[in-house]
Amino acid sequence: MDVLEKPGKKVVLLGNEAIVRGALEAGVGFVAAYPGTPSSEVPITFSTIAKKVGLYFEYSTNEKVAFEAATGAAWSGVRAMSCQKHFGLNVAADSILPVAVTGVRAGLVVMVADDPSGWSSAQSEQDTRYYARMLKMPMLEPSNPQECLDFTRLAFDISEEFQVPVFLRTTTKVSHSIGSVKLGEMKKPKTRGGFQKDPDNYYNLRPHLQVLHDRLNKKLEQIEEKYGLELNKVFPGKGKIGIITSGVSFDYAKEALLELGLNPPIAKINMTHPISKSFVGGFIKDKEAVLVLEELEPILENFAKQIAKEVNPNLVIHGKDLLPRYDEYNLEKVIPALEEVFGKKLGIDFIGHRKKVDLASKDSPPRKPVLCPGCPHRSTFYAVKKVFGDKTIYAGDIGCYILGVFEPINMQDFIVSMGAGMGVAHGIGIVSDQDVVAFVGDSTFFHAGMPPLLNYKFNDAGKAPLVVILDNAITAMTGHQPHPGSGFTGMGEKVEPVKIEEVAKALGAEVRISNAFSQKQLIQTLQELRNVKGSKVLISRGECRLLTRRRFRAKGLTLPAFQINQEKCTKCGICTNDFACPAIVKTTMTTGEEPTYSINPDICLGCAVCVQICPEGAIHAAKKEGEK
Amino acid sequence: MKFDIMLTGVGGEGVLTTQVMIARAANIEGYHVRGVQLHGLAQRGGVIPTFVRFGSEKEVSSPGIMQANADLILAFEPLEAVRATYYARKEKTTFVIDNYPLVPIYANILNVPYPSMNEIIKRIKPFAKEIHVFNASHLGIEKFGSAIFGNTILVGIVTGGGLLPLREDSLREAIRATAPRDTESNIKAFELGLQLGREKLSAR
Repeated sequence: MDVLEKPGKKVVLLGNEAIVRGALEAGVGFVAAYPGTPSSEVPITFSTIAKKVGLYFEYSTNEKVAFEAATGAAWSGVRAMSCQKHFGLNVAADSILPVAVTGVRAGLVVMVADDPSGWSSAQSEQDTRYYARMLKMPMLEPSNPQECLDFTRLAFDISEEFQVPVFLRTTTKVSHSIGSVKLGEMKKPKTRGGFQKDPDNYYNLRPHLQVLHDRLNKKLEQIEEKYGLELNKVFPGKGKIGIITSGVSFDYAKEALLELGLNPPIAKINMTHPISKSFVGGFIKDKEAVLVLEELEPILENFAKQIAKEVNPNLVIHGKDLLPRYDEYNLEKVIPALEEVFGKKLGIDFIGHRKKVDLASKDSPPRKPVLCPGCPHRSTFYAVKKVFGDKTIYAGDIGCYILGVFEPINMQDFIVSMGAGMGVAHGIGIVSDQDVVAFVGDSTFFHAGMPPLLNYKFNDAGKAPLVVILDNAITAMTGHQPHPGSGFTGMGEKVEPVKIEEVAKALGAEVRISNAFSQKQLIQTLQELRNVKGSKVLISRGECRLLTRRRFRAKGLTLPAFQINQEKCTKCGICTNDFACPAIVKTTMTTGEEPTYSINPDICLGCAVCVQICPEGAIHAAKKEGEK
Repeated sequence: MKFDIMLTGVGGEGVLTTQVMIARAANIEGYHVRGVQLHGLAQRGGVIPTFVRFGSEKEVSSPGIMQANADLILAFEPLEAVRATYYARKEKTTFVIDNYPLVPIYANILNVPYPSMNEIIKRIKPFAKEIHVFNASHLGIEKFGSAIFGNTILVGIVTGGGLLPLREDSLREAIRATAPRDTESNIKAFELGLQLGREKLSAR
């Protein structure tokens, strides 16, 4: 693994991998996380190396639990880290707030990845920099993998020096970009410690609460003073127009300026909370204008406006007047803003080119993300729709099954947050006479699905929605991480799996289990449950087919293969248009010709559900050659 | 010096592994490397537009390529080559396409037929300096038992054909460090590609 290479070596790392190396160079001893893209490769990498380097790593049941565990370690003198995506931080925030006030003993770093543009997640384009302000925590923001490494290491030092948890914030194009990284020396992780009773620190009721709060404010002032000038950087240049930027926008700015042949001074803000007044003030005091480049919210821009009132009231400040407050930036967005501010044209017609590309791609079939061939969720959705039809309200949730939002499935009528489908479904059920089915994944059920299920029992109005737990034995969407039902931990230790059916029963639900790959069993079980009053759960159980393939490969076995009997096939299109498995291909060579239906053996994962849904019985097992 | 590559294909085709392979080879030669990967939601059977850029540290800082600025586009799926024209222009960009169509389910559901290879080339032409089409995945299935080997064959083709300014040895070393399984088959696939590239592209 490149992440464990020798000090001094230059390697290519993903931003998220570089964060792991930075933590290793800081001697991190305890890491806890719930996976969430774009942060997922941080825990994935820790999970792979934890045993080898001798640190403790766990996939916790959710982000709040992960942060709490990391806090316990840091309070006991072990350097600790929790990692999550932006929405994960929302879950953890309840516990982070008081810990920021209380403080820590050993360094505690909270890694969080925002996702402007929603490449890795749906729901919202949250700007987590606001949290740093509300939670009163320092926040460091790397621009590229090298800084991911450097800033993670530094975040531990700052956290320990001022006894305050520190945010390391990335965005998608920082976490998911690769870059050359020079490695430093790793520290042997310290994994043992002990909690010391210390009411002066941990007693956070009034009136001592105000003492702690005041102390936190002072810590932030001290951090601003000590690191404000040291950590942020001015790149000198020519002219009276400057750039203020941070994160990946800095890397866009550098390259865009090179393309434009411009060399203005740049102020790079590496610590975005607290922002240094003297750093920003010093930079803007002799400028005529500045352009602030930051994705999402105008946080640096508003700060510069505030400081300019004191040090340079005539300063012209551009930012969100020229650039969008949504979506991520790229060179095509940054260059026109620079052209406008500096009055210099690159002479590229970005919009004209875009139009030509749109014309060239016109009338091409779109390629939206889809459930994989052999996915148990496709089979479950298909059976649920057979029983409940199009009128039923389908509550969505977070996991691979979010892809059921697209046609032909169309069975995620709304998507809110982890576990929220079940919660929202309850309200709809109470106030309406509509049928409601709530889908939730196995990992998501453990993460945040248990309280809403318990609530059905507690506030049972005889109208509880049907909950369908899509149990594929793993956290699939983020890269196959284990959860309490998987039977192994983030360090690969075997543990007794928690049975979802026992949990659901204990929470007051009537529970049935069906094989996710059996249409007959699914339909029969769903029809039974439809008539059950009160809280009810169908566990549709079928292993993620990618895992099945991995297991088969490891044993040198071949997955079963299927083919379509051309004589029996009536070309009705149910397999391609309604069931829509990507492995079933309809080919029309020339216009007007009769299409041929076939199964692509290179991507078929042999789930055999197409055999069950074909009304003509035209799909059957095939002999397959070679390993698959 | 700066060289910008776009790799595009469909989730599950091994686009990311190929990207890491090329990035590592560039790193071995001492270049400053940047690039973008795509993970998560969009990855499931969707388009995987991915970049590798290498050159001097001064010239290469953005993780993504600027519009119409790719030197080389490696398309592991023909239709995705059409959408990749966003990063291409006539004076600069060479397309190398694996003739291995993966018809998206939406072609059937929305009744938008998948274009023919001739149609695809016609659409790309205004954006391309050169277009080369190979049956890399088919060769991968035929010679090594899986389409996934088409990726290393394609990397061999562009290396042998002089379209990727990196040394054969650096790529061999990078393949050994990257290929998750069947390292030897991947090296063989690379050698096969090298030869194909030399034969078919040297007379350009």
